[in-house]
Amino acid sequence: MFQRIAEKIEVAGVYKNTEFIPRKFQWRHRVYQIDELTLISDIKDGGIRKRLYSVTSRGNLYRLCFNRDSESWLLEEVWYE
Amino acid sequence: MNNTTFNNASTSTILHVDINSYFATLQQQENPHLRGRPIGVVKDEGRSCIIAASKEAKKFGIKTGADLPEARLRCPDLLTIPAQFDRYLDATRRLKKIFTQIAPAITIYSLDEAFIDISDCQQHLYPDSHRLGRQIQQLIKNDLGEWVTASVGIGPNRFLAKMASEISPPESVFEINHHNLDAVLAEVKFNDVCGIGYQLEKKLLKMGITHPYLIRLYSNDDLLPIFGPFWTKELKKMAYGQEPHHLELLNEPLPHMKSVGRSITGYKLYDNEQEIKSILYNLTEEVTHKVRQMKLAGRAVNVSLFGQNRGWGQAPQIWHQHLTLKYYLRHTQEMFQLIYDQLYRNWQREFKVIKFGVRLGMLEPVAEINPSLLPEAQQQEKISAAKDYLTEKYGLFTLRSGVLLNQPLIRPEVTGFLGDKTYHQL
Repeated sequence: MFQRIAEKIEVAGVYKNTEFIPRKFQWRHRVYQIDELTLISDIKDGGIRKRLYSVTSRGNLYRLCFNRDSESWLLEEVWYE
Repeated sequence: MNNTTFNNASTSTILHVDINSYFATLQQQENPHLRGRPIGVVKDEGRSCIIAASKEAKKFGIKTGADLPEARLRCPDLLTIPAQFDRYLDATRRLKKIFTQIAPAITIYSLDEAFIDISDCQQHLYPDSHRLGRQIQQLIKNDLGEWVTASVGIGPNRFLAKMASEISPPESVFEINHHNLDAVLAEVKFNDVCGIGYQLEKKLLKMGITHPYLIRLYSNDDLLPIFGPFWTKELKKMAYGQEPHHLELLNEPLPHMKSVGRSITGYKLYDNEQEIKSILYNLTEEVTHKVRQMKLAGRAVNVSLFGQNRGWGQAPQIWHQHLTLKYYLRHTQEMFQLIYDQLYRNWQREFKVIKFGVRLGMLEPVAEINPSLLPEAQQQEKISAAKDYLTEKYGLFTLRSGVLLNQPLIRPEVTGFLGDKTYHQL
């Protein structure tokens, strides 16, 4: 199941075919290399546009959220079993 | 009737794309830990109704609508995952983009199904429709992910294209044409026939009609007393592979919505006044917000409360009331006052509530309604405009009524059959 984190993170990535692809992120002073981008979704919270990236790093799944209005990143949730 | 005459457009080629186990497949695409495992998607954590089952769970006989305890008996390893409706809706938008690149004439039929009419471009662009089907399957994988598979049905009309995708195995392409039409209609089960529901199927089986082809053997005089004039005509059409009325309606432009409703089944039985009030307000707010977004207003207000199912043979616990107004409304406060102060107050509290529903019907476009000149109405208009502006800018529930304080918020969700297609502009 997912554990709610909701903490600010920094993300680095590349633009490919006009779309941003995250490659790594830094959370709590630790860098996580992204192995697989499993799902991208554009959602709206009222009028606020957000892009959700589900990514795996070393076998763990993370949900990253990019607020397209404030241009800020959040680590929303982490999957654990 | 000549069985090669499918419909008035026998030269048409329609593709029906059906994503296999949509919600569950997307969950598995998102989370590699779930791939290959039996999963059931539930509305939220703690809920016990499975709204979608993965391919692996289906092998255990777990279907949409299954009760969780019963499903766990069938499959003790079943994992339950809360739904992410926003992401499913976005995936459908992405699918729409893919389909629109193939042909301009597409219809999003439900969240996970679409029709693509390639009749006008087949000759020059897609002479091999099977190849196109496989290309579509690959485009979907490229965009949504390798785990997302689709069945593609091909037919001379939407009815047969959908039937083709329903009866074909997951991730396959299957065509119904004049060579195999009779064989398919003689073999297909009614639950794979679009338009034949449970009740209709029951009546047909009672007459010994087990497959659509057999309807041809019955005269109108046999069918009319049982099915009536409308369904006799529809069943006859289906028996020959022709498009029934409800699919023909897809040719018509989408009318504005006639009503907007919202219901929710709770986690528990509710008896606390504050909780009931908060849920009714929350649902009313969603309904009126949608109505305002679509620039509509309505004058039929409806509220329903449901108690726990008391078991076989027991009358269900239901209470509902409605009110038809002489004026149109679209603001939360005015609708909630009617629902809570006028309708709900009449309820004698005969049972604890498990499910709540509110609805605003008889909707008409605001542009076609004479606006009220009363100062209270003008004030409501200003409040709603300010509230909608803040929601648009800062997100849902940023500004909310005190009625919702300290209560869990009920967020909007989409339905699989996409009843509010107009609202989502799909």
